[in-house]
Amino acid sequence: MSRLIGFLRAAPPATRRLAPLLLLGAVIVAALGLAARTGLFARDRAWAHIQETGVWRVGMDPSFPPFENLDVTTGQPVGFDVDLAQAIAARWGVRVEFVGIGFDQLLDAVAAHRVHSALSALPIMPHRTREVRFSEPYIEAGLVLVAPREKAAAFPVASSQRAEPALWLAENVAGRLAVEWGSEGDALARAAQAQAAGRLQLVLRESGEAALAAVVAGEADLAIVDAITLALFNRERPALAIVGPILRSDPYAIIVPADAGELLSQVNAALAALRSDGILDELKARWLAPDAP
Amino acid sequence: MTRTKGRVMPGLTLLALCLTLVLSGRSYRHWVEFGPQQRVLTVNPKMGVHTRLTDEVEPWKIQRTLEMVRQMGAPWIVEYFLWAAHEPARGVFDWSHADLVVDHAVNQGLTVIARLGYVPEWARPPRSGHLYLDETGYDDFARFAAAFAAHFRGRVRYLIIWNEPNLSQEWGFRPVDPAGYVEMLRRVYPAVKAANPQMQVLAGALAPTLAPPGSEWGMDDLIYLQRMYEAGAAPYFDILAVHAYGWTFDPDAPASPDAVNFRRVELQRAVMERNGDAAKPVMITEGGWNDHPRWTKAVRPAQRAAYTIRAYEIALHEWPWVEALCLWAFRYPRPAATYQDYYTFVGVDFQPKPIYAAVQRYAAGEKAGVP
Repeated sequence: MSRLIGFLRAAPPATRRLAPLLLLGAVIVAALGLAARTGLFARDRAWAHIQETGVWRVGMDPSFPPFENLDVTTGQPVGFDVDLAQAIAARWGVRVEFVGIGFDQLLDAVAAHRVHSALSALPIMPHRTREVRFSEPYIEAGLVLVAPREKAAAFPVASSQRAEPALWLAENVAGRLAVEWGSEGDALARAAQAQAAGRLQLVLRESGEAALAAVVAGEADLAIVDAITLALFNRERPALAIVGPILRSDPYAIIVPADAGELLSQVNAALAALRSDGILDELKARWLAPDAP
Repeated sequence: MTRTKGRVMPGLTLLALCLTLVLSGRSYRHWVEFGPQQRVLTVNPKMGVHTRLTDEVEPWKIQRTLEMVRQMGAPWIVEYFLWAAHEPARGVFDWSHADLVVDHAVNQGLTVIARLGYVPEWARPPRSGHLYLDETGYDDFARFAAAFAAHFRGRVRYLIIWNEPNLSQEWGFRPVDPAGYVEMLRRVYPAVKAANPQMQVLAGALAPTLAPPGSEWGMDDLIYLQRMYEAGAAPYFDILAVHAYGWTFDPDAPASPDAVNFRRVELQRAVMERNGDAAKPVMITEGGWNDHPRWTKAVRPAQRAAYTIRAYEIALHEWPWVEALCLWAFRYPRPAATYQDYYTFVGVDFQPKPIYAAVQRYAAGEKAGVP
């Protein structure tokens, strides 16, 4: 900067008079460049296309009930995500067109504008935020600690979670802890067990459902499963409840192209409205369980 | 005196800096001690894994990976060696990273199956992909394979020529061409043998696929293999490399031309036999199961562990023509953050997954402990 000032002092008077204008021009050019990079002036072609056609093209892999699967009689997709898409589209006054795309291709399809959005029980993936954008979460599918409902209220756990869930478990939980062998919950439980000085015993089962059944049967005191497995289990027999904080958050979100800022705003506004209207809770009760997080 | 000192000191400082850089570069490979020669203890000498050390840059991580493979009880590894990395300009070879991987593997008592591919820019047309190699580049590839075979004489005895050439994306996004692949083998095989007669050349490594006739994506592996034989492939490879993924099927699900499952290997073997090539062995250089909670081609973690152990048993007891079963993939250097992460035996942080412990117990002759 001092060199620049020195240069201007040494410059002819005409150049010195132009200096403020040159500086202003440079600032404007830099601001325009920044705005272009951040997409401030970019037209949201996805949202514009939805408005023009009256159709919201949503990518989905219909193979993950109860979020999405094909109805065996009609061949049409059904499930939580299907109803959620319909509810959002109804707010916009457009029709949903579901496009079947493999789970591992969905984000690429959105990034390439092959569809306007993906709504298919997709978690938020921070490493993909250069190509796509993620809406506000609409459901939590992360790891939770579970106890028998009648014991949940009296369960002696701290109200807030520490940064490290394994350490939190080691310090706050004791007894027999059921997990699905080889699952994320198993890895977390083993890490907690290593720090729990013998206060945690693992009960290994072949599935998340079997881990929850072990708690109901009294073979374990607690279980770690994902929130969706718990919700589906409680749908059949509401015997279990979440205790303590979410151990590892893994919410599902709606995906839009990176340059679809207006579409993202509209999706988030619709989700907020569905939440405040109680429709999101109705969908959870219909497809999962009333107290699904 | 002061003026002289003023001229000399910067020069000395620069010299010291250069010496530091040169010496630190020279000692690069010695930051990790190799330690005594190890050997693999296992009840199943056909057990193997595909490692992913291509882009693992830290020597201690390379050593730790291979040490954990040995401790799991697997004597075989498949590793990918990039032509583009090891011959950055025509005739200019840089084996530093490959030496590091191979020497640590040998030190751990592991047998390396080297997969070669990934075309350097100088060997392909402008704006083509790194898997594009047309016939004009086959002799360059043959010279590279021969140089590799010569350099690693006594340390590496198995070379896989190309990967999954029956998929368009692996064939430079061109229509797949069994005769073209055989022409590649015809150029590479004699060059490798001339450089190192002990080197065993593996061909095929076909992707198991049910691609319909005329598909732009690829060709059914059974049809592709038959076309390879019809194009005269037999004299130009010593061992057939096969990929054996189980998807959602258990390893005892019967082989069928219209199913992709583990025993599809038996159908490739039948093609070999029909073409009078039964004397050659097979090596399974990729395969296995995935336990992603969401992916439709995945199974549960306990199923994956049980299927994996059963697959190793099948290779040992039922398939005398299979020399090694190397499953995808032991560990990634960084998270893929997709379903791919659920193929691994060990986390990025070297935390062994329960499947690792189960396979390790199996290799030690103990009960695997899978529920």
